[in-house]
This record gives sequence, C-alpha cells and structure tokens, in this order.
Amino acid sequence: KSKAVAMAKLILLLLNWIFLCCNVAAVFEDQVGKFDWRQQYVGKVRFSHFDSHMQSSKKVLLASESNVFAALNTRTGELFWRHVDKTGPEGNIDALLQHGQDAVLVIGNGHLLRSWDIGVGGMNWEMVLDPGSFRSACLVGHQGAVKHLAVLKKTVISLHYLSNGHQKWVENLPESETVDFQAVYSGGNGEVYALGVVPNSHLAIVVYSLEDGEITKQVSVEAPWLSSIPASCSVISRGLLTCLEMTQIPLQTLGLDVDPGFRPSLVSHQPNPAHPPLSEFLLQLGPEHHLLLQHNDGQIVTLRDYKPALLASFATAGEKTVVAVMAPKNKTACSINLFSAETGRRLLETTLIFTVDPNGGKPEKLHVQAFLKKDDSVGYRVMVQTEDHTLTFIQQPGRVMWTREEALSDVVTMEMVDLPLTGAQAELEGEFGKKADGLMSMVMKRLSSQLIMLQAWIAHLWKLFYDARKPRSQVKNDVSIENLSRDEFNLQKMMVLVTASGKLFGIDSKTGDILWKHYLENIPLNAAFKLMVQRTTAHFPHPPQCTLLIKDKDTGLATLHVFNPIFGRRSQVTPPALPQPILQSLLLPLMDQDYAKVLLLVDDQYKVSAFPSTKNVLQQLQETASSIFFYLADSGQGRLSGYRLRTDLSTEQVWEVVIPTETQKIVSIKGKRSNEHVHSQGRVMGDRSVLYKYLNPNLLAVVTESTDLHQERSFIGILLIDGVTGRIIHEAVQRKARGPVHVVHSENWVVYEYWSTKSRRNEFSVIELYEGMDLYNSTVFSSLDRPHAPQVLQQSYIFPSSISTMEATLTEKGITSRHLLVGLPSGGILSLPKMFLDPRRPEVISEQSREENLIPYAPELIIRTEWFINYNQTVSRVRGIYTAPSGLESTCLVVAYGLDIYHTRVYPSKQFDVLKDDYDYMLISSVLFALFFATMISKRLAEVKLLNRAWR
Amino acid sequence: MASPGGQGGGALSTRGGGGARRMKWALELSVGNTRSRSDRQGGQGDVVYPIGYSEKPVPDTSIQETDKNLVEKRCWDVALGPLKQIPMNLFIMYMSGNTISIFPIMMVCMMAWRPIQALMSMSATFKLLESSSQQWLQGLVYLIGNLLGAALAIYKCQSMGLLPTHSSDWLAFIEPPQRMEIMGGGMVL
Repeated sequence: KSKAVAMAKLILLLLNWIFLCCNVAAVFEDQVGKFDWRQQYVGKVRFSHFDSHMQSSKKVLLASESNVFAALNTRTGELFWRHVDKTGPEGNIDALLQHGQDAVLVIGNGHLLRSWDIGVGGMNWEMVLDPGSFRSACLVGHQGAVKHLAVLKKTVISLHYLSNGHQKWVENLPESETVDFQAVYSGGNGEVYALGVVPNSHLAIVVYSLEDGEITKQVSVEAPWLSSIPASCSVISRGLLTCLEMTQIPLQTLGLDVDPGFRPSLVSHQPNPAHPPLSEFLLQLGPEHHLLLQHNDGQIVTLRDYKPALLASFATAGEKTVVAVMAPKNKTACSINLFSAETGRRLLETTLIFTVDPNGGKPEKLHVQAFLKKDDSVGYRVMVQTEDHTLTFIQQPGRVMWTREEALSDVVTMEMVDLPLTGAQAELEGEFGKKADGLMSMVMKRLSSQLIMLQAWIAHLWKLFYDARKPRSQVKNDVSIENLSRDEFNLQKMMVLVTASGKLFGIDSKTGDILWKHYLENIPLNAAFKLMVQRTTAHFPHPPQCTLLIKDKDTGLATLHVFNPIFGRRSQVTPPALPQPILQSLLLPLMDQDYAKVLLLVDDQYKVSAFPSTKNVLQQLQETASSIFFYLADSGQGRLSGYRLRTDLSTEQVWEVVIPTETQKIVSIKGKRSNEHVHSQGRVMGDRSVLYKYLNPNLLAVVTESTDLHQERSFIGILLIDGVTGRIIHEAVQRKARGPVHVVHSENWVVYEYWSTKSRRNEFSVIELYEGMDLYNSTVFSSLDRPHAPQVLQQSYIFPSSISTMEATLTEKGITSRHLLVGLPSGGILSLPKMFLDPRRPEVISEQSREENLIPYAPELIIRTEWFINYNQTVSRVRGIYTAPSGLESTCLVVAYGLDIYHTRVYPSKQFDVLKDDYDYMLISSVLFALFFATMISKRLAEVKLLNRAWR
Repeated sequence: MASPGGQGGGALSTRGGGGARRMKWALELSVGNTRSRSDRQGGQGDVVYPIGYSEKPVPDTSIQETDKNLVEKRCWDVALGPLKQIPMNLFIMYMSGNTISIFPIMMVCMMAWRPIQALMSMSATFKLLESSSQQWLQGLVYLIGNLLGAALAIYKCQSMGLLPTHSSDWLAFIEPPQRMEIMGGGMVL
C-alpha cells in the first residue's frame, strides 16, 4: 500500500512539474490588471429599486432589458453583484418586486419566479410555473405584514409564499376567454383583486380571498371607453380604481387640458403592500406638464400643477412621501425639487441641479432615493436615466456621484485609431509638412519648434520630479483629451465604439476611461452601422476623420456622420445628402489632396457617389475606374453579384452567383482585412523547398446554411469566390451540420466552426490554399490573370465547447505567428494557436514533418486553461472581438465586447522584441561596470608588468 | 620542424635571424670578406689567437649542404601542411555530425576560416618559400591544399544546411505582390 502511495506522490509531483512547465505562457499574478481592463455593464434599465429597508443601505437594484439583474453601490456606481440570464425572451425580466431583504423576479413571460437575497446576491428559491402569458404580479400584504405574492396570467391567478415560493393556491379566472385580465392589486385587507377588461365593453373585477382563493365578489362596470388597464388606470386611496378616459369629456369635467397628441398617464404610489396606496396621484398631461391630484371624499382635488415639468416621481422615506419633480431650468440644466405629497408644498432647500450633457440624451426616468435626515427632514438623491441609457446619480446640491454608460453594453462596431503625436512632435512634423517659404523663416521656425520641444522636455522633467516626491498611490495618471499622445510603441490607442442606441464613445485603450461621448439623436431602432476610418492621425495638419454610415433598414435611407475620432466632435466637412437608399459602401485606398480616403456609396440604382467628391477625387476615380470592383450579397434573394465601376460612376454587372433560397441562404461573407500584412509568401517544407501561399486579396468566403433544419438533411456550405471575377475557387459542403457558423478569413486560410448534428459536437474546420511550388507572378496579383487553380487542403477538429465569436490576431508586419481568439459562452477568451488548425498536420509522423515542426494530427483540440487571455475576468455574452496591431511587432491589441468590455494585449509569439518586466537591469549593469573596471585595472597591471620585464 | 605551416615559417625565420647573429663570425670565416680579415689577422702574425680558436673551417661547408636540404624540406612541409590537415578535418567533420549546435558551428567556422586566412596571407607564405628552388610548385600545392580545405568547409556547410541554396532561403526577401484591382463590398446593409 505504501508503494502505491509513493507512486501516487511521484505522479502528483510529475504532474505538478508538467503544470509548472506549461504555465509559463499565462499571465503572472503581478501582471493582473497591468495592461488589461474590464468594464461590466447592466444594459438599459427597466426596473430599479432602492434598497430602503435599512437606513444605511447603499444598494440600488436594477433589472435591465438585457435580462440582467444587478445591485449597484450607490456611492461609487460599481457592481455589488450581477446575474446574467439567458438572452432573448426566455430570460426576459417581466417584473421586479422587492420586500425587505428579498427581491422577486418574474422571468420569461411568467415561466420562472426567482427570489434573491439582495444582501449577498444569492438565490433564495426558484419556482417554475406554467410557461407563458404573464400579465401582472404584486406583493400581497395582510395585517401589516407582507408574506405573499400574487401572479396573474391570462387564465390563472396564483398566490405564492414569499419565504419559499410555494404555491398557496391557484385559481382559474372566470370568463377568461372573453375577459382580458391585465392587473392584480392588493390593498392589505386580506383580498386580492384581479382586474380585467372586455375591450370597449366593460371592466371586470374579481375579488379573491387571501386565505383560500375563493371568489368573494365579482363586479362588472360599464366602461366602453376602456381598452387597457395598465395604460390608463391605477388604484388610489382605499381601493379606488381611477381610470383615464381617452376621449376628452371626463377630463374636461375636471377642467384639465391635455396636450394634443399626447397620451396622458396616471402614476399612483403604494409605499407598503400591506397598506392601501396613497390617495394622492400624479397625472401627466403633456410632455412637460404634470399634475399632483388628491382624492378626497369622492372628490378629486388638484394639489399642484407642475408646468413645465419633464419628469415626476414619488418616493417614500419613513412615513413621509414626497414627489420629486424635474423642471427644465435652461438649455443645459434641469432643476429637481421635492414637494410634500400630502399638501403639494415645496420642501425648502431641496433644489438639486442636474446638468444635461450636451452630448447625451434627454432625461427619461427619475429614480428617487429619499431618506430621513437626523432632523427628521427629508433628504434625497436621484438617479436620472436618459435616452442614451446613461445612469447619473446625483446628490444635493447637484454633485454627480457617478455616471454609468449602459449604452456600452450593446456595442455594434468599433475601430481603434492611433493617437496623435504630442504637440511638440506634431509641431515639428508640421514644419516639415509645410512648403518652404524662404531660408530665414525656415530657420526661425526650426528654432522655435526646437525651443518648444525643450520647453516640453523641461516641463516633463519637472513633472517627474514633482511626482516622485509624492507617494506612489497618489500619483494619478490624469488622462484627458488635451494631454493625449501616442506612446513609444503605439500601444495606447483611441477606441471608437458605436452602440446600438446611437451613442458613440471614445475610450482610452490604456485605462478604459471614456474620453468623449456623442449621442446621435433619432437613430432608428433597427439601424445598420458601418464605421470607417477615412483619415488617420498620420497626416498632421489635417485632423483624423471617421465616417459612420447609419442606415435605416426599413426605409433604406442612410445618413453619414463624419467626426474626429480623437475628440468626438463633428467634422467641418459636410457629408453629402443621400436621397437614394444606400446598399453598401466601399472605402478605397485612393486619397484626395487632403489625404482622406475616398468612400464610395452604392445606391439601389447601382449608381455610385463618392465622398469626398472633389474634382481631384473624380479625376482619380476616372483614371482607376476600370480596376475598381465591388460585390453585393443579397441574402433574401440569394444573389451574389459583382460589379465594375465605369468612368461615369455608373456600374456594370460583371458576374452573378445565385444561391437558391429554397435550399440554402447566405449567412455571412468574409473578405480579408485591408490592414492585414503577410510577411511570408510561402511555407518552408521539410526538404527546404517552398510551398507558396495563394494570397488572393480579392477572395471572399461565403457561408451558407440550409433552410431545412432536420438533423439528417441540414448542411452548411462554404464557398470561396474571387470577388473580381466571380470565379469559384473552392466549394465545400458539410453534411449533417448546422450553424451558427463562425468564420475567420485571413492570409491563405479560412477557419470555420459549426455544430455537427451527426456526432453532436462542435467542430472546427480549416481550409488552406496554396499556389504550389512555383509562384505564378511574384510581382503583381491580378485576379484577371490567374490561370491555375490553387491547391486546397482541409482538415477538421473536434472542439469541446460551443463558441460565441472568433477573430484572428493581427500584427504590424505579419511576422508574428497568428492565433485565433475565440470567445466562449462561458465568458472566457481563448487564444488558440493557428498552428493547431493546420491541414498539413500529418497523421503519420515523418522526418520531413518533424523538420517542419508540424504537430501530429489529433482530432480533439483541447482547451488549455493557460490559453485564456482573460484569466478570471469573465466577459459576459461576448458578441465581438476586435484586434488591432500595435507599434510592436510582437503585440496585438484585443478588445472583446458584449455585455462587458475587456481590453488586453496578446503576444502570439511571446514578447520577442521587448525586455521582460522583471529584466534585471541592476545585475546586468553592475556586471557591465565590474567588467569595465576589471579591464581597466588589468590593463594597468599588464602595462606595469611589461615595463618591469623590459627593465629586467 | 614538424610544426605546422605559418607558425613553422615564423619559427624558421626567427631562428634564421638568430642563427645569423650567432654565426656571425663563423660565416665571416667562410666568405672571402672573412678571409681578408683572417689574412689581416694572419698578417698581424699568429701571436694572439683567442682561446679555443681553431683554424679549421671544415664543418661549415657540410652544414651548409644539409641546411639547403633542410630548407627545401621545410618549404615542402609548409606547402603540404594544408593537405595534411584534410584527413584530420574529414574525421572531425564526421564526428561532429550535421546538427546545428554551438560546437559543430565552431568547428565549421574554424575549418572555413583557416584556409581563408592562409589564402589571404599567401604573399607571406611565398616569401617563406622564396629560398626554395621549387617555389612555384610548392606555392601551387599550398594553394590547392587550402582550396581543398575551403571546399571541405563549404561541403560541410552544405550538408549542415547553412548555405542558401534552396528557394526557402530567399523566401523572406520576396516582396508581397502588388494588388492590381481594388475590391470591396459586402452584404446589403
């Protein structure tokens, strides 16, 4: 037995050793957070609750439209905890009810009830209900205590215990075929009311006993004007249902005027579910008009008229209930005031100024946290939600405690732009950029720029000296737009992110600070975005320029937003008006005299317009028109067509491939990235000959999926087409396979991932194209002159996980080996060496394959934990990965975006061009000095010895 | 005397110089100039002869004869030096193998460097061989020996794969081909 133990120990030791050996590729503990950062988001907030059961609590609960439930720290805006549910309707949060320490969520159209402990974010219980048709839910209190929760669905009402989720009773609703039950209410008197409506006929109220679920009463009220209860009714006072009639008459009897075209709404407030709601309620009559009304002995009295008032909201602190009203003050600020709900009087010293961000949206929702101060007066803080999904938390008298840009949870597309050189460098560059105007002035200019550089250098030294005296923790790297400059290795860049809400962000890639934001108003809901960098920072006197193409998918009309990516400001350049629907855009490598790349816009008549469209550009276009091609893929019609530009900017169709839509549809098309460089034109074989790569810059990888999803008949197809000639280079069909297919197309290879329905597993497949042992034409590549078809090699592998997204690393010169960055649903980002996805991996090892360093073929690709570039920094719901080269050949910048944003650097071939962080400068320099002195001394000694010998 | 080429040559020259210095008066004895001096001394009468002075000049001529032979032999030694190295080099080559590591590389470097060095200092070697009657032949043999040594080193480099004789060795210098067409586009937005 002891032998076995010894053996086990030995094996353990060996395993440990192997593990240690393998682990060197991963991040060291002291490198955590050194050049990577993560930002976690929640998404657009749907429900929010301030945790008020404890006076000192600093939590706010948020349930978002992205199916995320989270608790934020109200002091800092950071997450306490966050739960990310399934995407889509399955995880949709229908309701959030909070009582004391518990928060109950209704999820997935009433399918799940979940109770969370808000203190630690742990789950108390989960209850599975019959799926579907959720209508409403409320907490039910009785005799001052809240112990139940009622859930109303289309046909049933059920009552659950708050403590464990068990069902107390469940009852079918009477006449549920005709009556549309929409709301449930409880006033704390031992009864539960289900409110239903027969549209344009009557209102039905069914009263259930809390104890056993028996129907105690059934009332029907004539209401031919009513169609929806939540939209126009609310319960006030002691069980009084107040409804708004959309026709004008009853309102006019109260003497109220509704703004034309506005749908008025009612807001009531029930501070405690065990007690009936307040008799005061808010009525919104227009976009800037609110009323505080009170029900008093069958009479409705106007307590206060708020006009203008953008938003109004109730809040309760202890026994006191207040109304917070936001009124516009001037163009850039709003003021918020508190009013007593009972009297409508304004509370003194409660004004709070909310500064409206000129680059943000309008305020949309007001979440008020009221609390009692020591002198028993009411204090409050507000969380303002604006149209651009921003949350701003403000304290009196207007101090912004934190801001959260929840729009960043939905990044659509992004680019990374080089930062400009420092002012001094730019000055110097500008001097050489300008034309010479006399020797004397040139000298003066030169001297002045040198002086500026000297000044900057002294300032820098002074700052270093000044900072050195302070303790390290206090030295803050203040990054602002003014002092932004490119670092030595161009590792710090500006990330330009476009979000679905239409808000653009500029983020410093080093720290993750948001440097600028710009909200584009009136962005349609289903807009398509395409971001292009027209001019980089390399052309100094001209500012860099990005262009965002925004297309409304419904109308097809597009607009261009031209801006400076460093400052976020709209450019001076006026974008052209685009009266025609736009199909695609095309960024040409041609430049106008101001070094802006030419953008071609293809409209639905297949006519092309250029931006910028100066004379110079048009002339260049005329000269090169015959070599400008573009392709369009219409997934709906299954048409893939190529066009050539004519000199008059019209187009002619050159080729067309039709993919029958009955059997398959085009899912995605991937070309090569324009900024990709391939250093090596071939691969060295074991016998030292060269297998040349087929590097066709015009190659397109077209992925199709079968419309038939039956697991025996489903298939995916991959088509490699030359985009200029339409020639099909290669075609592969993977039978018994299903999407979603993720594709990466780079250099001479295409990697794609799919689900194999036959073997029920995820598979990777790689296609590589080679020209063969000879290059056909080594100086120019023209798709029109390629008589030989390339050799195609393919291999497939099993991958143990499904994937969310995939991208390849990119470096400056393309010397560094490539890795695939794979975003996994688990939140990991895997850096998979391309070496493992190589169709030349041999099944039988030979001398030659060993010489070539080919790994023998193994069907499984294993996930090694040290390949995760984000170690334990989970990135939820990765939707895309963006890679950009840095100034260092070894380093590639990576941004993963989804619900979270994560930025890091990867070194696919290790850091071969940088000294390590722990490089021992002391040792090396001391050895160097020691050697130097030793040489000096020994030289002296040798001289003395020689002299002595000469004397002898 | 069996010491190899260059070094041997150097030794020879110094020894020659040293010999000349040591044998100054012995040589003077044999040549006419010396004779006149001895005549003069004779003229002065055989009164003062230094101790150990012998009047027999006999051994000088015989030494000169063997010296000539020796010089010839020495020159041949110098000329054949590189050729003699070749079997040794072959053996080292065989032993060091074709793997690329520090020791075989050092050996190859030495092997390549020595003939090159020798060829560079060809004129110095010729000066050495000047005294020989077969100077040109010896020079030729010396040249051939060194060339053979260099060829051997090149062959070794070749078998180790150090010579850029394959197309793969020039792969890094191939420029990416220029693109003739501009193409772009995508799915209809």
